[in-house]
Amino acid sequence: MAAGTVKTRRTFLVIFLFFSLLFSSSGQSSFTRQLIVQLNPGWSAPAPPGGDLLHIRAVGDNDTLHFLFCSQGAPTLLLVHTNSSSSSVKVDWTPFLARNTTGSLRVEPESSVLSSTALVFSRLLEYDDINDTASMTSDLFPPYELQNLSWSRMNSSDPFAPLCGSVVNSSGSICLQLSAFESEGRGQSWPRLLHTANSSQLGVWLDGVSPRAARSRFMLELQAVGGAYPLSRVDVHRSIDDEFTPSIFKASHWVSSANGSSEVVGFVRWRSVAFRRSKPALEDATPCRNSAPRPQSSEAAASGLIRAFYSNVETFGLNVSFGLAGEPFYNSTRFLSWTLLMGVGSPPVDSFSALVVAVMAVGLGAPVLVLLVGGVWICARKRAMEPTAAYEPIN
Amino acid sequence: MADFEERRSLLGDEDERFVGDREPQRGAGGTGGTGAMPAICDPRHLLHRVVVLVFMCFLGFGSYFCYDNPAALQTQVLQDLNLNTENFMRLYAWYSWPNVVLCFFGGFLLDRVFGIRFGTIIFSVFVCAGQIVFATGALLNHFWLMEAGRFIFGIGGESLAVAQNTYAVNWFKGKELNLVFGLQLSMARLGSTVNMNIMGWVYNKVAGLVGSPGYTALGGSLMIAAVTCLFSLICALVLAYLDKRAERILQKEQGGTGEVIKLTDVKDFPLTLWLIFIICVCYYVAIFPFIGLGQVFFIEKFNFSPAEARAVNSIVYIISAPASPILGFLVDKTGRNVVWVIIAVTATLAAHMMLAFTFWNPWIAMSLLGVSYSLLACALWPMVAFVVPEHQLGTAYGFMQSIQNLGLALIAMAAGAILDTRGYLVLEVFFCACICMALMAVVMLYFVDYLRGGDLNQSAAARARLQKEATSDAE
Repeated sequence: MAAGTVKTRRTFLVIFLFFSLLFSSSGQSSFTRQLIVQLNPGWSAPAPPGGDLLHIRAVGDNDTLHFLFCSQGAPTLLLVHTNSSSSSVKVDWTPFLARNTTGSLRVEPESSVLSSTALVFSRLLEYDDINDTASMTSDLFPPYELQNLSWSRMNSSDPFAPLCGSVVNSSGSICLQLSAFESEGRGQSWPRLLHTANSSQLGVWLDGVSPRAARSRFMLELQAVGGAYPLSRVDVHRSIDDEFTPSIFKASHWVSSANGSSEVVGFVRWRSVAFRRSKPALEDATPCRNSAPRPQSSEAAASGLIRAFYSNVETFGLNVSFGLAGEPFYNSTRFLSWTLLMGVGSPPVDSFSALVVAVMAVGLGAPVLVLLVGGVWICARKRAMEPTAAYEPIN
Repeated sequence: MADFEERRSLLGDEDERFVGDREPQRGAGGTGGTGAMPAICDPRHLLHRVVVLVFMCFLGFGSYFCYDNPAALQTQVLQDLNLNTENFMRLYAWYSWPNVVLCFFGGFLLDRVFGIRFGTIIFSVFVCAGQIVFATGALLNHFWLMEAGRFIFGIGGESLAVAQNTYAVNWFKGKELNLVFGLQLSMARLGSTVNMNIMGWVYNKVAGLVGSPGYTALGGSLMIAAVTCLFSLICALVLAYLDKRAERILQKEQGGTGEVIKLTDVKDFPLTLWLIFIICVCYYVAIFPFIGLGQVFFIEKFNFSPAEARAVNSIVYIISAPASPILGFLVDKTGRNVVWVIIAVTATLAAHMMLAFTFWNPWIAMSLLGVSYSLLACALWPMVAFVVPEHQLGTAYGFMQSIQNLGLALIAMAAGAILDTRGYLVLEVFFCACICMALMAVVMLYFVDYLRGGDLNQSAAARARLQKEATSDAE
């Protein structure tokens, strides 16, 4: 009996390992990067007027990712990927603050730059959804230009603190929070996006902004500025796994494609869900939709960082609208949060958690095992009983 | 009260050897001067019994219609009352809680305390009152009142099914009984299906009348649903009158359920019966709570419209209505119940895995679920009669219903909690795990039964032959 239990346990282990190998995430190299944070590089205290520049160097073995987060003008996140582990960022502050000179921010050595993408949060739009149809063309209120908000100052001791701007004529604020990562992992709170060292996460939330109508809904306008490969299309991925975002099965990838090939060079990824509470439960989830990315003139990107880094580039803009027809309006909780992931390479792909794999392995394996063991045992018994099975006639 | 002289065993599914020998008594009481009555008024005539059958079938309609009201209106209930899924599933749990205890005593109450006629009326009143309290709770936006309403509804609901079966056994005998049980089951499924498909429309109409969707519109729709319970109550009153009249004319005693519940019998239950209990519990907890949560699942994962989602959710019931008699016939003809149960459980597992791990059209998986659900009912419940002696049958069925309700109550709440925190994939995996436990139990049942001589898995021909030998031995 003891031998049988040991054999059973070993078989379970084999089955479990088989299933975990089958389902384990493929293609996610779990490499790590070293993060070095610089606030306003090259500018001595006090803080530069108009906004701060946060520079995070994520150094890998033979490449570097530069994350530049700037609140000069519209908040912008710029990602520069270089093939050297010793590249750095140089800022000429006077032309940078004037926001009229290309090249006032440079990544050196220039020849090491592989790709660059930038995401600008340009406008917050609000519309009055009188008929509860969530059509994005209904009465739009004058938008909040995010370049005109006064943003909070960044702090070098806590570089990942939220950047908040108070909305005019309202007691509320819109906040952005950047997180950069050293290795693979998953966000702590919903939507618990999977990240690698090649990506950074940006959370956006509206807290207490007074809506201008009882039935208003909000939209966020984003602009993507790219070098050689701008983010030009949005792919919607359906996945069967909603473990980390209950009842949400879709993720959207705003990707750039290299010439001709379908290989993805940079991406912005989000789950089609926003939350109406800061510690959300399932019923606080509200779906979000996006419009197709449209080319815009490069002057539309009213961001100091874009003006400083890019000369003339393709800009694509899209609107993310929160809430569909029939969903509660913004006024019900006066809170909206949405999270996105921005990075280089291909977007990370979710895979099953160990719990799901283990339960399925045990659940499917156990009956099969019992069937096999029982069948074998019965055959053995039959064979053992054969000699005495037949009754013999009396005479 | 009701002193009955003959004990009639109440059968979960019919087995002819129990009922066949009752035939001669039907005509026995026909001596009271009834010569000049038209056929439709003559209790012995088929036409009158068909009329009674109609009322009998509609007796359970209201209860089944209102049982799945929460599932049919899931999005509206969640939104209008601001509930999370765990609280929503409590509406189902509260239905099952009273039946954990009542399944034992339903038969007893019908036989000894109330009598079949008065008992049926009382349980119908409970069903009606429960639904009205439930609707009032929605109107006033008091969730605790809605839970209380479901509790009261539950007290009446399952016991009403026992009463319905008892009426059937009293009025119909022999081969007719199979057909009658089948028809009653089909009517029950019809009630569920109609509920799934029209409650959404009713809600929209009421919301239009009231002005906007909200808990007032929800309460109004549930009140309209209560009309079906009122209708069932009227059927109960009519049935009581017809039964009393038949008793007077035919001079037969008021029927009893024949159930004898002796809790001490539980210690005598064989291992095979306990395995059957495990199969029953583990299987049904993966069906009913899933249907309860199905609508939003189909909307979110498969992008169905609410009407489509409700339709596909009801396909299990729609299929089970015609499939149950056909599959019952099939299982009766071939025997080998354990093999059919294995097939049914495996098919259900396949259906759940399809819904969990693929985006294939859910109509396929739900149709498979409907067929396998019907197959299991036809193959599993009669097995109890093969395993326990007749005088313990009441206890065995009561116990089976009781732990089934206990399982449903607990798992309904667990399912809601799992969905709230981990999402639909983990919920489906959980249901798959329950089905896998049922599969383990049925595989073990197969082996245990095989080692003990294979009584449960005999073919129908072998069983008939054994019966004939047994009866000829007895002579």
